[in-house]
Amino acid sequence: MSVSNAPAVTISRDVVARMSALVGAKNCISNPSDLRTYECDGLTSFRVMPGLVVLPASTAEVVAVVKLAWENGLALVPRGAGTGLSGGALPVPGCVVVALTRMKRILEVDLENGFLRVQPGVANLDVSKHLGPAGTYYAPDPSSQSVCTIGGNVSENSGGAHCLKYGFTSNHVLGARVVLADGTVVDLGGPALDSPGYDLTGIFVGSEGMLGIVTEVVLRMLRKPQATRTFFATFPSTDEAGNAVSSIIASGVVPAAIEMMDGLAMRAAVAATGVDWPDVGASLLMDVDGPLAEVEHTSRHSVELAREAGALEVRIPKDENERALMWKGRKSAFAAVGRISPNYIVQDGVIPRSTIAEVLHEVAELSKKAGLRVANVFHAGDGNLHPLVLYDARVPGQEKAAEELGGAILRLCLRLGGSITGEHGVGAEKVAYMGEMFTEADLETMQRVRCAFDPERRLNPGKVFPTPRLCGDLPGPYVPHPSELSGEATRG
Amino acid sequence: MNATAPAAVRAGASADAILGVLPKEVFSPSTVEEAAAVLEEKARASASVGFVGGGTALGLGRPPRRLDAVLRTEHLTRIVEHAPSDQIIVVEAGITLADLQRAVGAHGQRLALDPPLPERRTIGGLLATNGFGPLRTRYGSLRDLIIGVSLVRADGVSAKGGGKVVKNVAGFDLPKMMVGSLGTLGLVATVTFRLHPLPESDVTLVARARTARGVRELASAMRGAQLEPAAVAALLQGQRFDVAIRFEGFPAGVAEQRDRLRQLVGQPPGSDCDVLSEAEARAVWELHDALRTAGPLRAKLAFLPAALDALAEGPLAKLMDALGEPSFVLYPTLGLGFVAGLPKDAALVAQAVESVRGSLAGTGGSLVLEEAPDDVRVHADPWGPPPASFALMRELKDRLDPEGRLNPGRFVGGI
Repeated sequence: MSVSNAPAVTISRDVVARMSALVGAKNCISNPSDLRTYECDGLTSFRVMPGLVVLPASTAEVVAVVKLAWENGLALVPRGAGTGLSGGALPVPGCVVVALTRMKRILEVDLENGFLRVQPGVANLDVSKHLGPAGTYYAPDPSSQSVCTIGGNVSENSGGAHCLKYGFTSNHVLGARVVLADGTVVDLGGPALDSPGYDLTGIFVGSEGMLGIVTEVVLRMLRKPQATRTFFATFPSTDEAGNAVSSIIASGVVPAAIEMMDGLAMRAAVAATGVDWPDVGASLLMDVDGPLAEVEHTSRHSVELAREAGALEVRIPKDENERALMWKGRKSAFAAVGRISPNYIVQDGVIPRSTIAEVLHEVAELSKKAGLRVANVFHAGDGNLHPLVLYDARVPGQEKAAEELGGAILRLCLRLGGSITGEHGVGAEKVAYMGEMFTEADLETMQRVRCAFDPERRLNPGKVFPTPRLCGDLPGPYVPHPSELSGEATRG
Repeated sequence: MNATAPAAVRAGASADAILGVLPKEVFSPSTVEEAAAVLEEKARASASVGFVGGGTALGLGRPPRRLDAVLRTEHLTRIVEHAPSDQIIVVEAGITLADLQRAVGAHGQRLALDPPLPERRTIGGLLATNGFGPLRTRYGSLRDLIIGVSLVRADGVSAKGGGKVVKNVAGFDLPKMMVGSLGTLGLVATVTFRLHPLPESDVTLVARARTARGVRELASAMRGAQLEPAAVAALLQGQRFDVAIRFEGFPAGVAEQRDRLRQLVGQPPGSDCDVLSEAEARAVWELHDALRTAGPLRAKLAFLPAALDALAEGPLAKLMDALGEPSFVLYPTLGLGFVAGLPKDAALVAQAVESVRGSLAGTGGSLVLEEAPDDVRVHADPWGPPPASFALMRELKDRLDPEGRLNPGRFVGGI
């Protein structure tokens, strides 16, 4: 839990006035009660008051804001819709939060060449809605897609349910216009493929706001598949559900999405949305998509395999409405646990898919020992587990126990060769675990990449990396800078 | 001090030259640890190093400014880990693509990557040059298949990024950073890939004698009809293209798409949209591979798919006129193509290359020379103008190889 006790650092009145002149007074937020709105993102347990919040409307305004911050030694924290779950948009004391939500235009749509150019504040789902009439869509679909922005998706390399087949944001971003920490504007990549040189776009996506502020994004659009078939299957426990997933994947089917929920997660969804689900040990919700005959075969075959693995019941939606309701039930799961528990922590670990049954048993053991309940939602196709650790903050010690349980689950993921984050990002939340997933040399190498873009570490400092080096450092054992020893400067 | 046994080393011979520059020494480490020890030793000596895998793509880029040593990956051929039920494999960079495919094929899987010369091309070399084949139509390139990488830096330190699971956003994307980096940022030591199931069935059709415009329209029509071919490649035969289209998957789905494509093309059976037999299909994809490896000049073009007609009729026609026995392999859904042939006149070819580059510049397209005779290299830079983000690329290189000792001068903009 991190609520900053550092004294609020105030930005000088002069700088505030100049920022206000750049973006317009109503787009420059400096009074404390309004700043509170920006003190956290979707990770509400971590709160830090920013120094200032600005909402620019164009690349030129972003450049001007960034340059002013640069001249005055101010840190910058970019922000989209603020739905992030790892504290990626958590302010640092004295920072300028640059919120990109006013930049929400779709600038160019090129159907023939299969790309579009959008501003970072466009909501993820709005992209697909815009493309719908042309029979195309934008594939990455995080559950928060009706609200989360493309700029945020780019920063976090957001995923969603369809990653196994369709990949993540990074596989669908062709290029971006970014503003670097000193105000330089650089165009990375572009709609034509394989631009000579390094894949800077690939490095930028998922860099959690630390390499630049994106002001335009070139996205790949896909042709909608001819057909989608969905089924919902219930199981006595997660063991049978896990076996069903394994045999479906082993048969050569590549599902578009395959989601597992355990009994507790399902009960929460029922309580919150009234969806008509029975009280069972586990369920699978699966989509296959593609050409019609292919999909009819793979869906039929997958249903057979689910039954063979011990499905209690298989439901096939009779129309698009019923299908949408099934998915709504799944997508509501996180928020739904709020109905059955005063508080919860969402984790985002990844495990090798074949270990799911083992992992869930161990999570059950760990949660029993901690005296807490854990509801599990699992992107079964790609191994991304979302344990929802339920607790009551009013009970002394429960919050801490919940955090520790979350950490133990992450360590379990690492022990099995997985990852500490499949889609939410490291942000502020999981900085401490980076050293368990990566060696010093790994992290130092990544830091060198950061130094190439932002040698002064003005952009989103304090995120992701546990012990950032000053960028002028020579490689070798870490040696504190004299100004750190004297207390004048702090790391991050 | 590293207690690893020293890697085998010998003096450089003429066969070891990279674009005419001979190294003094050639190392062939047997393990990744030995490779790291070599790089550490070369770092102490401030020596420059180049990397060689299968040696089939060394014509890419400019000659190295310096080349004290070459490190060959020929003994780094292990499969470190293969988890079929998780559909991932971790391999050392010196393994050939064919060996990798055989190993995973035994479990009904494949790496969805099909560049020419799989028996000779190594995973590391493919990564360094961003090699690909027609399957890119459906499965994307190496950046879409790679999920982890371990590298050895210029200073001999080993580092990794990504992981062993498909879903992973922890840390910066070092795997993508290494794709296409031509050994200038480090030695690729191991690579982790996500695998796909081998398709149960496939069929290849050929739509014959199309103009460039006809090729583009066919690709558009397939997209409009929601057909999902695994591979589409147009091969120039004389003045017209034969478009090879392959569907893969479960038999019912493959048959249905085959029939829908023939309806779409609107031709009765036996005319110019043929369903090929297995042997005929093999032959056409082999022809594709042969054309992809033609030379002695070979240029890779990238362009917006809709620009194909104008490109083909204009500056590209000029380039093809300047080549004897010209060939053109085109991936119309991707906006990528390869032109090859024998330059009739080096200066004329260079001029034609510049004119193609000029026409592509506005839309971010590019032309890169994969292979070129020396006299053409005198007149035409293999990479073309550095992109707008070059200053950042320069910074990245300087941070990872501060002394500029890895493949110096070979890359874009002289990096």
